[in-house]
Amino acid sequence: MKFSLAWLRDHLDGAVAAEEMARRLTSVGFNVEVREAQGEDEVWDVEVTTNRPDAMNHRGLAREAATAGCGTLRPFATQLAEGAVAIGELARLTVEDPEGCPRYCARVIRGVTVRPSPPWLAERLERCGIRAVNNVVDATNYVLLDVGQPLHAFDLARLAGPAIHVRRAHGGEQITTLDGIVRTLHGDDVVICDARRAVAIAGVMGGAESEIRPTTTDVLIESAYFDPLAVRRTVRRLGLKTEASHRFERGADRAMARTALDRVAALILELAGGEVAAGVLDSAPELPPARRIAFSLQRLSAFAGCPIPEEFVLRVLSALELEPQREGDTITCRVPSHRVDLELPEDLYEEVLRHWGYDAVPAVLPPSAGGPGLRLGSWPVTDRAREALLAAGVAEAITYAFVPAEWDAATSGSPLASRGGAVAVENPLSARMALLRRSLLGGLVDAAAANLRRGATRVRLGEVGRVFFATDSGVREEERLAVVLAGNTGAWDETRAVDFFDIKGLVEGVFGEFAVRDALWEPAATPRLAPGAGAVVRCGEGVVAVAGRVADEAAAALDAPPGVWVAEFDLGAASPSIAPVFRPLPRFPAVVADLTVRHSLDLSWGELVAAVRACAPPWLEDVAPVVRYRGEGVGRHEVKTTLRLTYRHEERSLTQEEVNAAHFALMKALAERLPVSFT
Amino acid sequence: MSTDDLARVREEFLAALQAAGSEPEAVEAVRVRFAGRRSGLLRQLEETLKSLPKEEKPAFGKALNELKRFVEERLAAAQEAAAKGAAAAETVDVTLPGRRPPAGSLHPVTLVRREVEEIFLRMGYSVADGPEVEDDWHNFEALNIPPDHPARDDQDTFYLPGRLLLRTHTSPVQIRTMEQQRPPIRVIIPGRVYRRDSDLRHSPMFHQVEGLVVDEGITFAHLKATLEAFLKVLFDSRLAVRLRPGFFPFTEPSAEVDITCIMCAGKGCPLCTGSGWIEILGAGMVDPRVFAACGVDPQRYTGFAFGCGLDRVALLKYSLPDLRLLFSGDERLLRQFEGVRR
Repeated sequence: MKFSLAWLRDHLDGAVAAEEMARRLTSVGFNVEVREAQGEDEVWDVEVTTNRPDAMNHRGLAREAATAGCGTLRPFATQLAEGAVAIGELARLTVEDPEGCPRYCARVIRGVTVRPSPPWLAERLERCGIRAVNNVVDATNYVLLDVGQPLHAFDLARLAGPAIHVRRAHGGEQITTLDGIVRTLHGDDVVICDARRAVAIAGVMGGAESEIRPTTTDVLIESAYFDPLAVRRTVRRLGLKTEASHRFERGADRAMARTALDRVAALILELAGGEVAAGVLDSAPELPPARRIAFSLQRLSAFAGCPIPEEFVLRVLSALELEPQREGDTITCRVPSHRVDLELPEDLYEEVLRHWGYDAVPAVLPPSAGGPGLRLGSWPVTDRAREALLAAGVAEAITYAFVPAEWDAATSGSPLASRGGAVAVENPLSARMALLRRSLLGGLVDAAAANLRRGATRVRLGEVGRVFFATDSGVREEERLAVVLAGNTGAWDETRAVDFFDIKGLVEGVFGEFAVRDALWEPAATPRLAPGAGAVVRCGEGVVAVAGRVADEAAAALDAPPGVWVAEFDLGAASPSIAPVFRPLPRFPAVVADLTVRHSLDLSWGELVAAVRACAPPWLEDVAPVVRYRGEGVGRHEVKTTLRLTYRHEERSLTQEEVNAAHFALMKALAERLPVSFT
Repeated sequence: MSTDDLARVREEFLAALQAAGSEPEAVEAVRVRFAGRRSGLLRQLEETLKSLPKEEKPAFGKALNELKRFVEERLAAAQEAAAKGAAAAETVDVTLPGRRPPAGSLHPVTLVRREVEEIFLRMGYSVADGPEVEDDWHNFEALNIPPDHPARDDQDTFYLPGRLLLRTHTSPVQIRTMEQQRPPIRVIIPGRVYRRDSDLRHSPMFHQVEGLVVDEGITFAHLKATLEAFLKVLFDSRLAVRLRPGFFPFTEPSAEVDITCIMCAGKGCPLCTGSGWIEILGAGMVDPRVFAACGVDPQRYTGFAFGCGLDRVALLKYSLPDLRLLFSGDERLLRQFEGVRR
């Protein structure tokens, strides 16, 4: 908020230098962000927090400056000479809605001359960001910026009655506001009406009909206190924020409604002439009793962590007009009507502490809670997942949790992505961010495509993050790991295009990190993975992962080229820690024998190995692939697979003869079991 | 033509072979000259044999065969020697790149998060976790932000069906922690948060870390020391930490916490808009209304809380220009963090 330094100084006796005042205000919580010289004056941009509407004006900020030792706050007095005619003869006031409008005050001034304001006033307003209009309107804005009370001037001649009624609007009631826009009101909006219709939206903006014109001679000045919540709801409904609403919705000063009225009347007399009618229309001259807050001096010091002297406490609270009374260890304050933020002892601790200076509080580390800190919730698993990405040579990416409907559709066929409905954001930033993701793959494939467009020849990206499913009871969140590979792989002299075994190897590596055993790889039936190049991975009953090449249609939906390989792993299937148990090292040598099997392509490696294990003696230690051969001498739908069998007995050395016998028996059994040959 | 001529060819061959030494090209030239299939000297001698009188043929033929065998053997030996020599002479170009296994990299936000976690784990804090989809109670009301509170303006919220929302800060996990656990509490809560805002300095999704300490006798001085210790380890032990009074609905008193500008060391620069300070986190003493909402006795316990943007710390620590770059998945950026570990 903008302040004029000269204006602040008007409220202070013996003000300190500008530099010092800015420093002190910042240290008590009013950050002077920008200082800009304008002629003799300086314009300050000061951050006033939303809980301090009382400091959103020059006197309020000067009060803080005075408390912070920047000078003495000048007494506040207004001289106003009233005329002979009583206000009651000129206008009537009824407040039908004391809840929406707890206090409404008005004065009438007759015989004003509306003209431009003198330069000193226009300049001050403009320095604070308010355009000068004419002397009457400018006087209301000046008092607003001076003491924080929003005011409104009506052309008395244009108020039917002349009367003021404050009530809730009739639903659908219309008013043309000062900015020339026709606004339709809601039954909750508080409105100011004359004898016939609404003439202002309470606390927000006046109506065009009764605004001050060059020809206006008689004015009615409104100075009210409107309910913060009511104003706020109207502001939100209309999307209309004004200087007045900004203060009312944060809480204006109920007492100031009366005081400011005299001040603005005096200023109008000075600027525009005329005569003030005797008396004030005031719907609630009695103020509600002031809130009292009591606190213990000892507890204050304990709370701060350092002793704070009683004299200091009393001085600060007095300067803030909180009228502190000490009785033993207890200080009781009387909260003035401008301090809407003070309710609890802690609120007063803050008042004392910020003026004591946060920098004057010592720094003392708290005692230890005793036990060691632990990673809780899903952190152990998700952080381990990131280690798995690191070990796999993947660059960790973070993509948005929001996806467009097309991405969701392209990835929705996955068994991992169909564990619940998609969650739609009710107020998305754009259609590209319409849904919460059910798969990490959309964002990753999009990122991979962008990297390829930038000319990347190899892409190796991964992410660990949450996916979201709509359920009957709300939204379920699951942790996922996903990777995308595209372009080339391998060393510079061995480079080749990424293929299925790259993505599978990567997933197997991740499984290793999480002790996922007995994973069963099956051809994928999921539509987004290319036929013949995709797999779902089961562990027991459930699918724990999917892997494969993105199908062309899905790639097109994700704006990616063909040849992008992906995998996604449900971290719910992961166990966070592996505690290895030592297995005794082998004491006897192994015998290795290769076996070349010719078989149809329909027979999978998995089935072949399972059969070999079933037919082999228990001392078959390992089966590993050596080579797969297709081409000359092998049928079109056939392959020759060479397996390396490692035999090792745990308790004795094997002889070549018994291995040979077992190996031949194995071949015989295998040929009986499967359609294979050994030629 | 006689067998003497053959003896002379043999001498010539041996001389040529000796001259060639173990140079593969020279040995090859000798082979072509003597044993070349089309016009080698031996081939020419075979032609000569055909034109010799019948009686001279056997002796010449025998001698020629011997010569041919001799040449072949010597050539083979010379070729082998040449090949070995060539291999010995050929050295590895050690400046060519090696075959590196692919290196991984952690995201800068992960690196910063882990750094923060390590600092607090060492001080005995646990690292807690909570849902990203929240209800109004945990995200707002329990944190002393009732409906229609002006503070809701500062946190533009994404709403979801069923009166749910995406958490706008990690503070709801404070509430969840206090609901589940009695004091003493010492936790930090890193996590992803969402606000309906997007420009150079704002992303609709970003990351925060929240801290919460609740115990008997926790003071403002404890808060101050904890933040100083944390920020000095995270950034630089020489920097100054400044607490300014601020406002958050869930803390009372509240503080905005600044550090010396890390770019200009406090002299004033564009990064700190000339002030010499950078705003780095918000903090305060837990508001008694928040304790009351969680069933913690405000008469017995006090506590402090703080919150910090992890993305912003990453931007500052690694001199990154733009928040949105963090979420672009650009490998040119991500791979710059290869080898960085926490």
